[in-house]
Amino acid sequence: HKQIPGVSSGCQQGGCLTCSDYNGCLSCKPRFFMHLERIGMKQIGVCMTSCPPGFYGTRSPERNTCTKCRSECDSCFNKNFCTRCRAGFYLHLGKCQENCPEGLARSDTQRECVS
Amino acid sequence: RPALRAVIKVALLNHDPTGKPITLEGVFVGGSAGYAEGKLMQYHPLSLCNTSEDERQESDFITIVKLEHRVPRCLPLLDKARMALDKGAQAVIFDVSDDANAAAELRETDSLSRPVVLVRAKDAEQLMGLVNKNEEAKVRIEIMVEQPQSLHYDV
Repeated sequence: HKQIPGVSSGCQQGGCLTCSDYNGCLSCKPRFFMHLERIGMKQIGVCMTSCPPGFYGTRSPERNTCTKCRSECDSCFNKNFCTRCRAGFYLHLGKCQENCPEGLARSDTQRECVS
Repeated sequence: RPALRAVIKVALLNHDPTGKPITLEGVFVGGSAGYAEGKLMQYHPLSLCNTSEDERQESDFITIVKLEHRVPRCLPLLDKARMALDKGAQAVIFDVSDDANAAAELRETDSLSRPVVLVRAKDAEQLMGLVNKNEEAKVRIEIMVEQPQSLHYDV
């Protein structure tokens, strides 16, 4: 890659296959996930072995990517299956809801609907 | 119809507010010439791929994307520009220094709701230099008014 003097390089990452100084990683080595990380006004590509909290990994022939969980979800398996909710929401059957079904109570500590 | 040129005025937010703005140039595409103002916000070329990424920003921002020919497009540039505008961008700036096909791809369009500007070479490098150092900046985009050629009369 072209090293531009005075520009911090986003390329010194183990998982990067191709990269540029302004965009960081452009593609990842096999099995790594591409995560687009926002740092203030910048957004750079980072190659990770697993996605950070709040994101889930999706594999595809072109590229493995990290995708954001739903907004009410702190961590998830995929878009439709949450594993931990944001404060004020309660987990029931993989979904985050503001209220629990009848017969279940809201647990603020676990952020889940509990019997 | 020749593409209209854009004047891009950049004021650094964490510096002396009375300081002179940096003035750069670009080219409007897709019949999108017009005025826009907002904070500069970089998007990676692999972003703006699907609507599910609900990374909403504050309202008044201007998106800048440095395009790279080595990155296969997840969407045509026109769709990326529209997606950025749909996410609230007041305008989109594409740095096409390293992607020669981008300019041709965008020039044929005519249906963009807000300004989309192409920058290259030193203008682009100066903008991306600010981004790389995370220098928060307010950007104003205007249509460049070409100075009329002075006519010489032999009297």
